[in-house]
Amino acid sequence: MFFGQNVNVARYDKQKYPIFEKLIEKQLSFFWRPEEVDLSTDRKDFINMPEHEKHIFLSNLKYQTLLDSVQGRSPNVAFLPIVSIPELETWLETWAFSETVHSRSYTHIIRNIVNDPSVIFDEIVTNPEITKRAESVTKLYDELIHLISVQNVHGFGVHTINDQEFDCTLWNLKCKVYLTMVSVNVLEAIRFYVSFACSFAFAERAIMEGNAKIIKLIARDEALHLTGTQSILNILASGSDDAEFKKVAIACREEAIALFAEAAEQEKEWAVYLFKNGSMIGLNAQILSDYVEYITNVRLKSVGFDEIFPARQNPLPWMNAWLSSDNVQVAPQESEISSYLVGQIDSSLEDGDFDDFDF
Amino acid sequence: MSDKKISMGIPRIKVGNQTFYYQYEPSLLDSLEAQEIQAPYNCRSGYCGCCKVRLLEGEVTYTDEGMVDLKEDEILTCICVPETHIEIEIPDD
Repeated sequence: MFFGQNVNVARYDKQKYPIFEKLIEKQLSFFWRPEEVDLSTDRKDFINMPEHEKHIFLSNLKYQTLLDSVQGRSPNVAFLPIVSIPELETWLETWAFSETVHSRSYTHIIRNIVNDPSVIFDEIVTNPEITKRAESVTKLYDELIHLISVQNVHGFGVHTINDQEFDCTLWNLKCKVYLTMVSVNVLEAIRFYVSFACSFAFAERAIMEGNAKIIKLIARDEALHLTGTQSILNILASGSDDAEFKKVAIACREEAIALFAEAAEQEKEWAVYLFKNGSMIGLNAQILSDYVEYITNVRLKSVGFDEIFPARQNPLPWMNAWLSSDNVQVAPQESEISSYLVGQIDSSLEDGDFDDFDF
Repeated sequence: MSDKKISMGIPRIKVGNQTFYYQYEPSLLDSLEAQEIQAPYNCRSGYCGCCKVRLLEGEVTYTDEGMVDLKEDEILTCICVPETHIEIEIPDD
């Protein structure tokens, strides 16, 4: 999947891992635009909110904006130069594209609730609580991108440039790819879900429902993305694609689990910051921290690691209803159905399909 | 419809110490929910893997294609229906 032969012709007739094609098709069928969602009542809701809830709502939105800014470009920059199968290459591009739709959604939301959106956007890069976490979500991406550029010019090996040493051996690059993928999984599977919990908590009280509808669409995409990163991690760790990656996964295991633990700690600190001026009905720093521990355990298990927090039930069971993709709704004309599939054609034909057909 | 299914009649679903008849809900997950059995779920479309349970006995038919790596005895309740009498085990968390 990585560091193999060049991708060459973009052909999909022979696929090593069909899962990526399935993900691409699903993602394409999910296509949506933020402008489809009506946000007019959200503005009124926002104006009527007490100050501490405005702080929770805006801080959460800023953090989501930051996360999607990273995800909208980094997978392309970091992974495309080194990917070696076309189906994964296309999945990376499809994935990153959908993140750009998310980024545009945040502008759509912010533009709708405040008069001067630039105040909010400017704060994303000046608020220390947000920048602190930005560093840790981009650190591994940056290191990988840096090493790949050096490797592109100087080839594999250890290089010293301006008295700085760059370990561009294939082994180290593979370790960095694996760990970066883990950090992406942490970003999408833990950090995002904590922010979703806050967005949905408002809508559980029937306020900011337009925002929740957009976040629900974003969450649907993110669930797909995290299935993608989990598949990549599991394939790499199994060694079925590249035997050396199996050794890499074993060697990096401790470091990978530490990434999950670090993110969980940061999310708990963030929960304290969010609710510093007061909590809201249905959600406070303690419940959100419990959710962080619960979701971290679930994600660790999905990629074959042991749980690091005590086992517990989901402290926010109502989240499930918001995370489902609505495929059970029977009368689509009655409301907006988020699972309506665009351009969906079933062209599969079995031998027996015409057996009961008489002329 | 297979001969086996005709001879077995309506599939029975066993979860822990509870057994009930499948009422032809669109998915196994729906039939569990109809019985007010707490079953995990998220996406309800076969791609998140949250609804994974162990199939101890019997067979299920998939109504959609899943995207999650499954062990031999694991099934996704959101995209399958029972084909025969089945027994499943829902994970603790």
